[in-house]
Amino acid sequence: MISRREGWLLITPLAVFLVLWLGFPFLTDLVYSLSQVGFTTLRQPRLSGFGNYAAVLHDPAFWQAMGFSLRYAVVETVAQVAAGLGLAVGLAPILSRYRSLLALILLPLMIAPALNGLMYRLMLNDFVGIIPIYLGMLDLSPNLLGPGWVFWTVAAIDALQNVPFTLLLALAGLQAIPPELREAARVDGASAWQEFRRVLLPLLVPVLAIAGLVRFIDSFRVFDHIYVLTGGGPGDATTGISLYIYKAFFAQQHLGLAVAASMILLLLSLVLLLALMRRSLHGARA
Amino acid sequence: MIGRLLRWLLFVLAVLLLNLPVIVTILTALKSDADINASPPVWLFTPTLLHFRTVLGDPTLHFPRYLANSTALAGGGTLLALLLAVPAAYGMVRSGAGARILLPLMANLRAVPLVVFAIPFYLMYQVLGLLDTRTGLALIACIINLPLSLLIAVNAISDLPLEIEEAARVDGAGTRMILVRIVLPLIRPMLLSAGILGFITAWNEFLFGLILSTRNAVPVTVAVTFFTTSFGVRWGDTAAAMVLSMAPPMVLGLVAARGIGGALTAGAIKG
Repeated sequence: MISRREGWLLITPLAVFLVLWLGFPFLTDLVYSLSQVGFTTLRQPRLSGFGNYAAVLHDPAFWQAMGFSLRYAVVETVAQVAAGLGLAVGLAPILSRYRSLLALILLPLMIAPALNGLMYRLMLNDFVGIIPIYLGMLDLSPNLLGPGWVFWTVAAIDALQNVPFTLLLALAGLQAIPPELREAARVDGASAWQEFRRVLLPLLVPVLAIAGLVRFIDSFRVFDHIYVLTGGGPGDATTGISLYIYKAFFAQQHLGLAVAASMILLLLSLVLLLALMRRSLHGARA
Repeated sequence: MIGRLLRWLLFVLAVLLLNLPVIVTILTALKSDADINASPPVWLFTPTLLHFRTVLGDPTLHFPRYLANSTALAGGGTLLALLLAVPAAYGMVRSGAGARILLPLMANLRAVPLVVFAIPFYLMYQVLGLLDTRTGLALIACIINLPLSLLIAVNAISDLPLEIEEAARVDGAGTRMILVRIVLPLIRPMLLSAGILGFITAWNEFLFGLILSTRNAVPVTVAVTFFTTSFGVRWGDTAAAMVLSMAPPMVLGLVAARGIGGALTAGAIKG
């Protein structure tokens, strides 16, 4: 053991970096969101009250973006947890026995979401993409990036990339269940479904909840693959909150709007952060 | 027997479906332009390296520089994160400092989407002269990697027996000596996994690369998007650029899959 003083000394470099690289941006967000500021007066923000917040809260595009993020995150979470669980249960015997095969399943996680979006741009291209060509052979020609389909297209692309993550966690959960429990259920005459529903699922709930939480958080802020695939369109159909902030700042040059929206998202995420910190502190771990 | 067959069928289908974009992109990169435009799509063809030669060889594309940018920012950011995280983790575990706020904060920092800091970083980097520099992007990679690096270092150090350190201390070793000579070698496998996962995460980062770089420091993930606009329909070259951009993280991922799987699981569950 070392003294607390020495402990803090070892932590200092990390703490200084955090203050500079998280604390300073936080203050900037706070001050600028309460100021009147434009690109010409970037370094002289003038405090002006809550005007920027009022503007954001009255912007229908902001609410539409929040709505998109929420709907998208719910769909992703449900789809990825369900598919990950199903695949984990189905593939566990194979993946437990031939552990190196797991690498082939995890491969999509190693790829940049932006690149994944680009690869689907290739696959969805009208002239060289295999998806429209093969659908065309079936006499189907849905406009997968049109208003009717685009939500489900970007959602499916994301789900296919991130299912390996929920699968990985579900697999870890499955492997932590003592085999005796399953054997006991079988000896007692449980069917495969009953064994899953009554024995496995209840024990997997904690790990699935964590997987779902992680996927919800990451899906809510979705940006990369949508940016390269649709740019948030058609119209604003696939503009989530991250893309809203990006567009407000870099496309519309509306600094006040962008910073106030950032601040609102930051406050929401701080509530979640504090809740999660309490959970960590009280040791209520899965 | 049939159950086993069905499982293997499910496995093959899952692997093919999940990796379909990668498979199609690699095949496209290896096709001649005529084969790319063939309809119905051809799956058997004579491969050509022409597109790779164009992407790497054409000096107006600067592609090797983009690859170097990504290598530098991901490598630098990952190393810096470990450099900050390991001593801090040791201090936390062995003295109990920071256990109430700092560690829970870092463990759950994932809850805060970094996009909320996109604009402050842009303004800050403008003032500091860090816009469009590898250093600037490496520092972003560091902040992105810090939580997981710290968490893995804390877990690894918590698992070490105290006796070795105490014996060393009795023999007169100071904290720095103990950290470098005893702790570091013992937790190296875990740090390696954390480092590889961190490198992959940093390499794949897109948003901050897009915002904070314009010319000189552009990472490959962003550079590849230039291709689709400036190349129009030259899908062969674009696909080759994509393959080159995803090859380093993919190879690392395949080689270190088990360690990464463990790190990903620990990062989510121990948080």
